[in-house]
Amino acid sequence: MRNKLFSMMCVLCIGLTAFAQTSLKGRVIDDATQTPIVGARITLANQNISTTTNASGDFLLLYLDAMDEEVLIEAEGYMATLELINLKENQANELVTVQLQQDVVTQTQDEILLNLTEEEMTDDEGRSQAQASSSSASTDVFNSTTSFAWSTARYRNRGYNSTAETYYIEGLPFNSAERGQFNYSAMGGLNDASRYKEVLNPMEASDFSFGGLGQSTNYMMGASRYAQGWKVGAAGTNRNYKARLNATYSSGVMSNGWAITAQIAYRFSPYVDNKGIIGEGIKYYSLGYFFTAERVWDNARLKLITFGAPTERGQNAAVTQEVYDLTGSNNYNPYWGYQNGKVRNSRIVKSYDPTVIAAYEWKIDEQQKLKAAVGYHYSMYSNSALNYFNAPDPRPDYYRNLPSAMWDGQIANPWYETSADQLYRADGTPYGYGLFIGEDMMGNYLGSAWIADDGNLVGPSVNKEQYNTLVNLWKTRDNKTTQIDWNNIYAANYANNANDPTASARYFIERRHNDIQEATAAINYQNTQFEHLKMTAGLEGRFSQGIHYKTVDDLLGGNQWIDIDAFADRDIKELASNSGFTQEDIKLIRQNETREGYELNKKDGDRFGYDYRINMGNLKAWFQNEWTFHEIDLYYALQLNFNSMQRTTNMINGRAWYLTKLAVEQGDAENYWKYYGKSAFERIDAGDATIQNVGNTIVGDAHYFLDPAFKLGLVYKINGRNRLKLNALAETTAPYARDAYISQRVHDRVVDNIYTHDNAKSLADFYASSEKVASADLTYEFNYPIVRGRVTGFFTQSWNGTELNGYYDDEARTFVNQALTGIDKRYLGIEAALAVKLGTYFTLTGAASVGDYRYTSDANSVTSAENGMPMTQDQGTMDLVFETRDKVLLKGLKLSSGPQVNASLKLSFFHSKMWFADVTVNYHDWNYLSVAPSRRMQGLYTGRRTDGTAVNGWFGDTYTNAIETTDGLDLRVDVDANGNAVYENAVLDANGVPVLKYPFNLMTMQESLAATNPLNRFTVDASVGKLIYLKNRQSVSINLSVTNLTNNTHFKTGGYQQARLPRAVRQGQLDYKNSTITSNAWKYPSKYYYAWGINFFLTVTYKF
Amino acid sequence: MKTSKYILYTVLSAFVLFAMSSCEPAALTEDDVFVQETDLDAMLQAESPEGYKIFELEQFLDTFMTEKGNFWSDTSQYRERSWDSKHDLYLYSVDTIPTNGRGIYIRGRITTDDYAGNFYKAMVIQQIIGGKQQNLRISVDLGSSAGMYQMGQEIVIRCNGLAVGRYANQPQLCVPSYNNNIYAMNASQKVGWCPGRIEGSVFRRNTKMIGAPDRSAIKYDTLTLATLYSEIKKKPSANTTDMSAVRKMDGRLVVLKDVHFNGQYDDNGTVKDCVVGHPDTVGGANVFAPSTQNIGYPQSRIVQDQGTNTLMCSSSEYAKFAYYYLPGADKTGVGGCANFEGTVTGILGWYLDKASDLADDKLDGFEWSVTPRGIPGFGIPDIQMYYQGDTESPWVPKEYDPNDK
Repeated sequence: MRNKLFSMMCVLCIGLTAFAQTSLKGRVIDDATQTPIVGARITLANQNISTTTNASGDFLLLYLDAMDEEVLIEAEGYMATLELINLKENQANELVTVQLQQDVVTQTQDEILLNLTEEEMTDDEGRSQAQASSSSASTDVFNSTTSFAWSTARYRNRGYNSTAETYYIEGLPFNSAERGQFNYSAMGGLNDASRYKEVLNPMEASDFSFGGLGQSTNYMMGASRYAQGWKVGAAGTNRNYKARLNATYSSGVMSNGWAITAQIAYRFSPYVDNKGIIGEGIKYYSLGYFFTAERVWDNARLKLITFGAPTERGQNAAVTQEVYDLTGSNNYNPYWGYQNGKVRNSRIVKSYDPTVIAAYEWKIDEQQKLKAAVGYHYSMYSNSALNYFNAPDPRPDYYRNLPSAMWDGQIANPWYETSADQLYRADGTPYGYGLFIGEDMMGNYLGSAWIADDGNLVGPSVNKEQYNTLVNLWKTRDNKTTQIDWNNIYAANYANNANDPTASARYFIERRHNDIQEATAAINYQNTQFEHLKMTAGLEGRFSQGIHYKTVDDLLGGNQWIDIDAFADRDIKELASNSGFTQEDIKLIRQNETREGYELNKKDGDRFGYDYRINMGNLKAWFQNEWTFHEIDLYYALQLNFNSMQRTTNMINGRAWYLTKLAVEQGDAENYWKYYGKSAFERIDAGDATIQNVGNTIVGDAHYFLDPAFKLGLVYKINGRNRLKLNALAETTAPYARDAYISQRVHDRVVDNIYTHDNAKSLADFYASSEKVASADLTYEFNYPIVRGRVTGFFTQSWNGTELNGYYDDEARTFVNQALTGIDKRYLGIEAALAVKLGTYFTLTGAASVGDYRYTSDANSVTSAENGMPMTQDQGTMDLVFETRDKVLLKGLKLSSGPQVNASLKLSFFHSKMWFADVTVNYHDWNYLSVAPSRRMQGLYTGRRTDGTAVNGWFGDTYTNAIETTDGLDLRVDVDANGNAVYENAVLDANGVPVLKYPFNLMTMQESLAATNPLNRFTVDASVGKLIYLKNRQSVSINLSVTNLTNNTHFKTGGYQQARLPRAVRQGQLDYKNSTITSNAWKYPSKYYYAWGINFFLTVTYKF
Repeated sequence: MKTSKYILYTVLSAFVLFAMSSCEPAALTEDDVFVQETDLDAMLQAESPEGYKIFELEQFLDTFMTEKGNFWSDTSQYRERSWDSKHDLYLYSVDTIPTNGRGIYIRGRITTDDYAGNFYKAMVIQQIIGGKQQNLRISVDLGSSAGMYQMGQEIVIRCNGLAVGRYANQPQLCVPSYNNNIYAMNASQKVGWCPGRIEGSVFRRNTKMIGAPDRSAIKYDTLTLATLYSEIKKKPSANTTDMSAVRKMDGRLVVLKDVHFNGQYDDNGTVKDCVVGHPDTVGGANVFAPSTQNIGYPQSRIVQDQGTNTLMCSSSEYAKFAYYYLPGADKTGVGGCANFEGTVTGILGWYLDKASDLADDKLDGFEWSVTPRGIPGFGIPDIQMYYQGDTESPWVPKEYDPNDK
């Protein structure tokens, strides 16, 4: 009763106020179904005032100036429309009911984009490809033009990492606390569920969060937003899944005040048994569900939301150019093979992220709003991989299995060889400066180079018959050579059983689980009681737990897997000899769990390897003031962000135990506790416990971070159609847990400058490890009936970033982890877009972005072996060194953040009989491959790391072979017979630092991903659609979207430089003194992803 | 009501579709992955429409391996150490295998294992015919090959496209390969074409596994050093017949009984006593294989019977047991290694990398060696009694305490 009274009073007030003022009201409905459209944005172009429609599709704007006005009506999933109206002074003006037409093209593009982004969230080995922005649905002309068109090229907004984009659902933060990214697979295929969202450009004022460096998106999933009725659809595509079935039902707001919406989406593809086509060797099954119920009161809403999408899908991999060339296809996938005549992929992702959300909105009065939401989700993500122990590497594209492995040892050392042949790729372009040997050491001519069956010019010392045999096995896609040989894998295990039934399986499939559960609460308060001022304040709290473990997925005929570390087992000799451990100790070091009684034998489904949690707490408080005046709008906002992280482990890894013991033996007090956490170590150290009985769960040290952020913005309204916007941001951000621990699978050791409450000396220590960011942008925006657009310039500088890498190191001959700190980056660029109406039917849209995203400093690195092996030896004390410190020469290099030059020209056609079509031409350039830090280590160039240890044989107290330069570095360049430096052969990098003499510079230079032929940097997309209205408000829409229409197969979208360096141990010297880079600079070439060739997406949707 | 039905049907059909969707192919059985003896002929015929032949191992060598090899076209490609022009002797050879369209196969049971690291990218197969061992080394570019091709596994290899040759006089199935190790000791005498490793992919494609492995079917000869030397010619003369007979002993699996490590080693042709020292830097350390500073040549420790017969026990510095102490029962002898009595099992090898030594009658008998495949704890217990040694104390270079049992 009280509510009704309150409502009546509100209506009365509104009515009276509207009567006294110039106002505009109206209603927005769906053209086909005639149902109200909720959340449509109504903007008066001349007065810069906007509002959104309510659950009935109604809107009301007050306090307007009387004038001729253009009313822009926009809604997600619909085509925007412009209405003209003469606003009469002190009258309640009314706009005729606006009927919006569905934007079938954008809806289809959204669906494609969602799928693309979901699949590329996580690549194998934890690498993340460049990700497309998913924020397609935005009324911003630049975003709406580019988000789909540039997704093929993996464009990133302003070059930022995906962690810079913040995602919310009903005001709750949904970027992972551990990795910083949004999990798109949670909404796999649920295009309707994710349709309604607010998208804010970087640093703009936001109602739902403080926002951040990149775009901010808030998904709104209240049931009342969805148009009443049924929608069923089917889609066919030749992408990773082949078909989709979809049904959505929405009740609309019922008489009891409730609205219900549900969607179910099934996407599938059986294993693709065709070599060379998109998705070869991949299967895909995903069932998405979405249910939301909303209770609507006059002044409040309660929303209950749940969704999830259990998905199982095969993966593919980046491979080297050699493999692409040999197989003649960009779609080659090394992860699958035939088992019993059927396709089986070794890498299967299983994901399911059930989510529940309850959100409550309370309109306290006309000036105050309160929103509160709580949510919980448990994200299950796992991927499988073949593991093996003491058996040949099962990967068909393992470098030893490729023809180029036969070049090893046959590339001339440029210091010694003079007569040789240039090395060419199959397409005639030179590989670089590599030379095959042409004569032996006695000067005898070995013969001429020859053209191999892969088109390469190959040196005379390479076995021609073997080389061509291997080439042709690849070219003909021989199953045993180019795919996983499941037969031999099973045979190895059965043979093993026959020889020793108690032995560890030689091969098995493991499943790596990276789950995270998060409980989140947020509260948001808005107050507009003061004239010109809108105040918003928010509080967000979140507890997250990352859950990481491995399970045995399939023993592939083996009897059991014995849970020991293969790298530690292989290095038994070094571990035994270098550390003074007993052989019994060494057995323990190999074990992933050292406690007595632990069952090492693992069967299907058992956990093994590692089992740890990262507990993370986050509390954010922020407020924002927005001032609106006739000519100027101003806002500023402040945020304080507290984070904590703590690792706990259920397994006591033998290498952690080993490293602790080493630290104790070496008297390295600072490192005593780093591998377990202080409390556990103190108990052990005090004799209260041994490592074997210290507890079921070892709780590591808690680390704390405190990060402030401030942003402000200014809008200068030149007139109703032109405006200038200025935004600025200064913030610090704590490192994500994934980058904070050096080897979190093994021990508790964190990167430098991360503190606990014990060892922090001041408050400042709690943001010592944080990345510091300053950013600003300036936008000019214009909006005329025929033409609209914007131009934005932006500048961002970040300092002190942290990254973690892992790779196999040829010198240490083991897997190493490398923590990088002190990384500075700069993002500088301009983005612009223009949309011009060309008569009744056509619109021409252009968009461009030119950026310069680069490192502005070198980084500091700490490198250590995961299995506890020493990395090198101090030349003075002869002590073994377990962590090497060096500088990584990154300064001046470009960031690998998608193309830095992008342009599109799009011609759209729309006919009032509901025909749609468009064609888009895109251009992308300045795209760079990510650089492997291992190839940019200062020690490689100077012979000496920053910690003083020697690299690559430039060893000795006097550094006799090194050249002392003015900057104090011993640069590794040639010396002539008299010991003088030979500088002319040294290659200089962008900073003037000499890099290794050719061909070694090939290993260190930054590679462009842009196609060699400029014409191949263009792609063309097109779509055509038709919406057919039937009787009884029913409709059918059909849309065909074709991407990469010209089938450009030269378009690389990403990849990575292999961190592994081709090194060999020079004979006659000790291990730690003599590793040298071999002449075969191509031994571990980069791996790439290519854009798919021509591909289509056809949808048919029936609404009733 | 109608809507409820639609919803129910939609949800049900979606879940049914999803439940039906995801499964992997059925697991392979032993019958699927191993070739059955009864099926072999049909499989080889299918591969070789013009016919095939499975050669006995010695017959294979006699048929295809020549003294000079057919791969080199002129004498400039013979390396100095491998060719003695005076007697026209060759230690390195490569012969490609002419097939005339037919399938050329060999067959044998694997007797080696590379887990312990004493065999690297090499294996030995054994064929027993009439109770007699025939053996052949195979050089394969496949790391940890014993994980797939395990000891006791019988395999049949298609040799078309491969080669047969000799490396330091040891016959092997191989491919021609150019050794360009210009940093090796005496590199100028070694760099050049030689028998090399078969590409791993090619080997996997050319090899079939016949049945499950059966280690018990491997034949080994248990004998004393005295018996061994009565059977083999320790210092063969420089004629090809003599050489050919010696070569056929290479790769034989032997169990040498009643031997001990006498605490001595061969230092590039000179017998020296082992010493106490760190094997990283002391070449004579009393372990199986001290570091060679990555030159990579095998390290020899001498085993002896109760008389004066000796034989090299050869190990790699990369072996897992390389730095393990040489076994010795009372640990009072030279280098702490005397009076061990037990058996040493391994692959017999005859390694000669300098032709002029043979020609000039400079052989000292240490061209023969036995290479253990492993030790207890690493799969293949080739050195018995090792584990009576010390496994509890921290490893430091030291002399054994006689009282330390």
